[in-house]
Amino acid sequence: MTSEALTRASVDRKSVLRALAVMALMPIAVLAIGAVLPTYPLRILDFVLLYAMLGMGLNIVVGYAGLLDLGYVAFYAIGAYTYALLASPQFDLHLPFALILVIGSSCAALAGVLLGIPVLRLRGDYLAIVTLGFGEIIRVLMNNLDGLTNGPQGIARIDEATILGWRLEGPLDFLFLLVGLTILVFLFVWRLQESAFGTALAAVREDQDAARGCGIDTTGVKLIAFATSAAIGGLGGVVFAAMQRFVSPESFTFWESLSIVLVVVVGGLGNPFGMVLGAGLLVLMPELLRAYADYRQLLYGIALVLIILARPMGLLRREYGPSWLARKLIGA
Amino acid sequence: MLVFDHVIKRFGANTAIDDVSLTIRAGVITAVIGPNGAGKSTLVNMAAGSYRATSGRILLDGAELQTLPKYRIARAGLGRTYQNIRLFDGLTVLQNLEVALVPQSLPLLIAEAFWLAPRGSAEARETSRAVLARLGIAHLADRQAGSLAYGQQKLVELARAIVGRPRALLLDEPAAGLNHGETDELKAHIQSLRSPELAIVLIEHDMKLIMSVSDEITVMNRGAVLAQGAPEAIRDNRQVQEAYLGQPGAMGAIETAARGRRNRVRLRASEGLAWGQS
Repeated sequence: MTSEALTRASVDRKSVLRALAVMALMPIAVLAIGAVLPTYPLRILDFVLLYAMLGMGLNIVVGYAGLLDLGYVAFYAIGAYTYALLASPQFDLHLPFALILVIGSSCAALAGVLLGIPVLRLRGDYLAIVTLGFGEIIRVLMNNLDGLTNGPQGIARIDEATILGWRLEGPLDFLFLLVGLTILVFLFVWRLQESAFGTALAAVREDQDAARGCGIDTTGVKLIAFATSAAIGGLGGVVFAAMQRFVSPESFTFWESLSIVLVVVVGGLGNPFGMVLGAGLLVLMPELLRAYADYRQLLYGIALVLIILARPMGLLRREYGPSWLARKLIGA
Repeated sequence: MLVFDHVIKRFGANTAIDDVSLTIRAGVITAVIGPNGAGKSTLVNMAAGSYRATSGRILLDGAELQTLPKYRIARAGLGRTYQNIRLFDGLTVLQNLEVALVPQSLPLLIAEAFWLAPRGSAEARETSRAVLARLGIAHLADRQAGSLAYGQQKLVELARAIVGRPRALLLDEPAAGLNHGETDELKAHIQSLRSPELAIVLIEHDMKLIMSVSDEITVMNRGAVLAQGAPEAIRDNRQVQEAYLGQPGAMGAIETAARGRRNRVRLRASEGLAWGQS
């Protein structure tokens, strides 16, 4: 596929550079738009990117491995609370933001493994229900561990994030951070999809028993998928906490998990570009429907149903992913 | 060499395999025949780890398979095809083969995904293409497996089973549903697979195919081995003939049964997505 095209000696350097330039246009455009937007829409744009990133993370499990995870918010919450606890007056800890990005995603990955070990034997609906329960358990824990999390009141006065002397003060700073992180996550999930690991995941998605018959350690593969997906969720959570500078269990309800699943399903299962599109739609739609006040949820629901009816595989199909675009741009 | 050593399999009160001891030597093609319900597929499925024997051992080149999880059995060198085709329909033909070549070590898989190890996939792709070329289906490499015609899917499944260089190959009714031309092609491919390191088990109803490719025949009936020997000896074995219909001349009856089955499978295939070419 792509890599084959990329490594083929006949592909000249110029066309590869051109392809990279075209692909770089997207984030540059986002930053340019962000630079001229007033604060409120800018914050919405931040959330679009945050959700795109979360979507790419959840997509590893839902889109690549074909496992329905309805508790993704748990990992997001773990990341958020990691930052809230390690960089706030709560315990008077003030670790640097960059370090907590690593700690938060590691904690989430660990939680992913711990959840994965018992539940990955389950399939389909059963797995969905157990992960849903896990998401709720984490929220209930956050709500009740008063000594640690301050319960329903949440944790306020979280430190301002600083990376290498760069203070993340406003939504524009976060836009830069989020664009950077989204690109990293995007490159990572792309590589993942194209690697042998991605092939193994695809086999698990298509037919688990036949995959096992081909020598794939399906449990191990699913566990890694769960962990990497969780790590990205944790990363998103840390950024969220730094952005809001306040966390409380209210932010991590089942509705949140569902929204991220919707980003994946509406955007296009297994397609990282779709995640950006899905996040854009799901974050913007409620904003655009604000004028209809009482009917907002209803219209939102109808819109989602219509999208899924029209495009059951999501807005962007799996095969029109980054590899396809790279091939097109390089002309291979 | 694949050895079944006093293998018994019970499903509840029903004994599917009743104390079968069987040695399948490398370098030859061993056909396993018998009426429906004789336990042929059960034997194959147990060797592949789909289910465990109630008692007894199954050894591949001396290594016990029964205690291994299914994916390790595959890695130990057991390749198989399924009675009902089980390809990864949404993947391309090439990807289907690459699945069988995914590196076995999880740390290596992770390292590769994180840019810490070089991608081994170029090599896997070369190997896969070579196997496809060998079976004459190189032109299908980039087609989606689920969109292929039935006969082509059967060949892809065979390619996937051999791409990992197994030491035992289990073919569960490879000719079921194929037309005459396709069966002839399959016959040539199976013969070309014969190698000193590979033990091939062929479960079939198509007696013509069996008589022409197999070196040894094992006849099963009601979960037990009824007879074993060279094709000619089996054909002339009265006991075997009687086992099928209780009277001599039963080989014809087996063939009739096979034809009936073939038509059924064909019908099933034509109801599905793709039954165009052939």
